[in-house]
Amino acid sequence: MSSIQALFALCTRGVRQYAFSSLVASLAIAMSGGLFLGTWKIKEGAQNAFTLSSSGFDAVLGARGSKLQLILNAIFHLEASPGNLEWEQYEIIKNTPGVKEAYPLAVGDNFMGYRLVGTEPSLFDEHEWKKGVKYQIEKGGRLFSSNAKEALVGNFVANKLGLKVGDRFQPYHGLTFREESKHDEVYVIVGILSATGTPADKVIWVPIKGIQFMEGHASEYSTSVSAVLVKLRGAAGFALEMKYNKQGNQATFAWPIAATLAEFFDRLTWFEKVLEWIAYLVGSVACLIILSVLRNSMNERKREFAILRSLGASRYFITNVVLGQSLLISLVGALGSFLVYLIMNGVASHFIREQTGVLLDPFSFDLTFVYVFLVIVLLGLISGIPPAWMAYRVDISKNLRPSS
Amino acid sequence: MSLLKIEQLRKSFLAPEGDSLCVVDVENFTLNEAEFCGMRGESGSGKTTFLHLIAGILSPDRGQIQINGKNVSQMTDSSRDLLRARLIGYVFQSFNLLQGFTCLENLQLTMSFADHSNQSDPYELLDRVGLGKRINYYPHQLSIGQQQRVALARALINQPKLVLADEPTGNLDPVNAAKSMELLCELCRESKTTLFLVSHDEKVIQNFDRQENWEEVSKSNCVKGEV
Repeated sequence: MSSIQALFALCTRGVRQYAFSSLVASLAIAMSGGLFLGTWKIKEGAQNAFTLSSSGFDAVLGARGSKLQLILNAIFHLEASPGNLEWEQYEIIKNTPGVKEAYPLAVGDNFMGYRLVGTEPSLFDEHEWKKGVKYQIEKGGRLFSSNAKEALVGNFVANKLGLKVGDRFQPYHGLTFREESKHDEVYVIVGILSATGTPADKVIWVPIKGIQFMEGHASEYSTSVSAVLVKLRGAAGFALEMKYNKQGNQATFAWPIAATLAEFFDRLTWFEKVLEWIAYLVGSVACLIILSVLRNSMNERKREFAILRSLGASRYFITNVVLGQSLLISLVGALGSFLVYLIMNGVASHFIREQTGVLLDPFSFDLTFVYVFLVIVLLGLISGIPPAWMAYRVDISKNLRPSS
Repeated sequence: MSLLKIEQLRKSFLAPEGDSLCVVDVENFTLNEAEFCGMRGESGSGKTTFLHLIAGILSPDRGQIQINGKNVSQMTDSSRDLLRARLIGYVFQSFNLLQGFTCLENLQLTMSFADHSNQSDPYELLDRVGLGKRINYYPHQLSIGQQQRVALARALINQPKLVLADEPTGNLDPVNAAKSMELLCELCRESKTTLFLVSHDEKVIQNFDRQENWEEVSKSNCVKGEV
């Protein structure tokens, strides 16, 4: 048995002897670390995922109102539309120099709670939702034609509702599902969109005319759109923002999308702060538990340490036994904190995916993990210093019993 | 040739009343290599303190302790630890086995502190003391006599030059005490190890060629029966 093996054997024995208290300390560390990582990384991950999920568009043109509401409605298919724009507005922006692509959107109906979004088929033919990547339709399907009652179903919706090519459905009026508001029109599913991990997976795509001329819709629907998705060329955004937001009063030009989303996430900072402080509090309790476990064990292990010293173990060796014990507890806690983080992230990812279609990557590596791991281990070691000092100072003669 | 040489050794403790109590006051004491020496003395007369001073567990107030030519009292803490691990084997009255470790691990841990090549094989040594089939037993699973044999094996595992035995039979019945003493002497004789044993039991001391009286070795009679 080498010195290292002896040290490890004594550390693990110490942890085993106080298994319950050690486990509680490790759990507290895991909760604290997990909470800290969770609050930090989930928000960051969600912000990045939302920014990357803007489906390749730079801006949204919509009715006068909040930029954020416009983006949430048109890009993420969340919340209600702030209002409608005249079809003419779509024609104008489409033909504006500096606008590379423009696609009209019309919303107002759903099927089993999933939105129907009316647009031009060219969105799926021409637009790159990610650099160099166009939408794909799963084998056996095709794109809807602009004049037919046909639908292209997002991958998430198809999986959730078990829809397949050839299935027929009747849409419901409104953005939330109400059984009594069923439309008479029957749509046939002609394709399933391949998964993109973007909000496009979460809706049912239909020709824009389908929404505009849906039976029961008001007549002004037929000449209006809910929003226009815009892809810009060069630095046209400044000029368009000036034109619509500063000089005009009929429409809002939500640009740039990333900046608006960042403002939205900044609003959540207070919540993040609260969780962060809870994490610090739990972390402090964890350190105190380590200190208490080791200190209590010290009272009982003094004799053991005195015996070891009498056999030739140095003061440093005994000190390292106690520090090693705190290291083991904090290592287990640090590993546990990643488990807690993965669970939190998994739940959050599932929730975000369900609500928005945006896919978070819970396993993406970040240098932050290494820092958090090191900080947890370091704090554990620091908590072990006072009892280690007690171990260093153990009086061999006094603690070897009995004396003659 | 002398293995242990002690000169002008003195150790005092502070009594609760604030007075200084002299516990050990030894003018001269030597032990030769491979010598067996038994020292009798009453309980509480300072024999354990004397052994602790020899082992470097305690530091003297003054005086010199030389083991194998090295002055223990002038050594650094870590040098004393290493010397204790390599040159000294200690047998305690209450055995002081590590309860959370098996017989084998108790020996292996002791070996790890000395960390030199001249060590006995723990399996062979445990077999030699009659515990070859109980190497994975924990101390609480053994009888008192068996625990004592593990303690003897542990004291000899690093092939020390000096074995210090402090009332090694104090917790044993007469039969086990006799067997244990026989085994200890046999093992030390085989390895030519110096044995220094202290006890209040006259029967134990009678077996030694060299017999000493603690009251004659140490002049600290003032604290007799109090330490």
